[in-house]
Amino acid sequence: MTDILEDTRNSGPEKPVSSGVGPGGAADEGITRLLQSLRPDLVRFAHWLARDRAIAEDIVQESMLRAWRSRESLKDATSARAWLLTIVRREHARLYERKRLELVSLDDEIDHHVLATGDDTDLHTLRAAILKLPMEYREPLIMQVLGGFSTEEIARELSLSATAVLTRLFRARNKLRTIYGLVPSSEPVATGETP
Amino acid sequence: MNCQHATLLVGADPYTSSPGLTEHLQSCPRCAEFQREMLGLEANIRRALEVAPPAIPATSPTANVASFKNARRAAAGTAKPVHPTLWRGWALAASLVVAVIGAVWLLRPTDTLARDVVAHVQGEPNSWVSTQVIDTRAVEELLHKAGVTGSSLTSQEVTYAQYCFFRGHFVPHVVLHTTQGPVTVMLLPDEHVSGRESFHESGYMGVIVPAPHGSLAVLSRTAASMDSLARQTWFTVAQRPQP
Repeated sequence: MTDILEDTRNSGPEKPVSSGVGPGGAADEGITRLLQSLRPDLVRFAHWLARDRAIAEDIVQESMLRAWRSRESLKDATSARAWLLTIVRREHARLYERKRLELVSLDDEIDHHVLATGDDTDLHTLRAAILKLPMEYREPLIMQVLGGFSTEEIARELSLSATAVLTRLFRARNKLRTIYGLVPSSEPVATGETP
Repeated sequence: MNCQHATLLVGADPYTSSPGLTEHLQSCPRCAEFQREMLGLEANIRRALEVAPPAIPATSPTANVASFKNARRAAAGTAKPVHPTLWRGWALAASLVVAVIGAVWLLRPTDTLARDVVAHVQGEPNSWVSTQVIDTRAVEELLHKAGVTGSSLTSQEVTYAQYCFFRGHFVPHVVLHTTQGPVTVMLLPDEHVSGRESFHESGYMGVIVPAPHGSLAVLSRTAASMDSLARQTWFTVAQRPQP
């Protein structure tokens, strides 16, 4: 999968869209169906990263175009989800770095969540707390829980050591513990964490 | 495996499993209890994250690709010619959008956190008038009550100190006596900002700066050097009482 990811990093001149079986071929239809079926997952993932629905939609749209352009390098359909989520994460990072996005009004966003879900207060509080987690903690947590990435995969993607990822995941959950009246656990000493 | 390592592994991924961890959990009730707690929390985290954002009609990937191709064709000069009247209409619409965006930008509200800080300070007008320096122990007690374990504020001349309910949490609100007049400092362990934010609102000037634990707001009604004061102010936080 490394070559695929390398391909998505390329931000140079775009290559013409082409397919091994020609435009409109069975392979293209297959990748179209695949992208369509995974779209809700991608939007949800992007939304928890970006904390804004409209930005998430933009990120996913751009990611799907990138995926489409490099579709020939997707050899194994079973790895498509992880591949796409990685593209989405990088697109989010790229957008964030490029535009220094305005801060989202979290109160509005959180209220929007409540209106959208109508669920219980505890869950609402937890969502609010997740949205308020600093990016360095929220990102690995979202990658792990929603993306299904392993510690090693997250470490590779975020250019961190595995220990640093473990520490960040620990801290993320530790912050969320307090919502349920649980005493935050004292932090274990871990080597390799980067600030 | 020791307790520290087990806590780190379970805290990072409550579903994690390895022979070493399993063996440790079987022999350590404390870590086993920690894992039970974390598994309960994890179920809720997964429930929280599984909720889909509000629905917006999805465009199909092929539509996206078609748009992309059209954009490329247009860039290459092979797009179909657009009728001039239609083009002028679009240009007018675009101008209006730009004008509206510009107006919204000019009239945009200042940062919400800054606004809340100012609103809070305005609600306690007597905080500015006191000149009596408060005993250091009283300040320490107040900070302790708010979960602040240490702060540079205890070594300064504090003329007002309150334990205030602000954005769902109790936070220390103090006024310092400085050579440039009274300056309000609010320690905000639960408010995180990405960088320094200055504000000028309702006659108050101030800055909100990130701190190792949240942020702190410094504001004044005069042109006091708040950046300098913000740089000198620090605080550390332990577990804070819930409202």
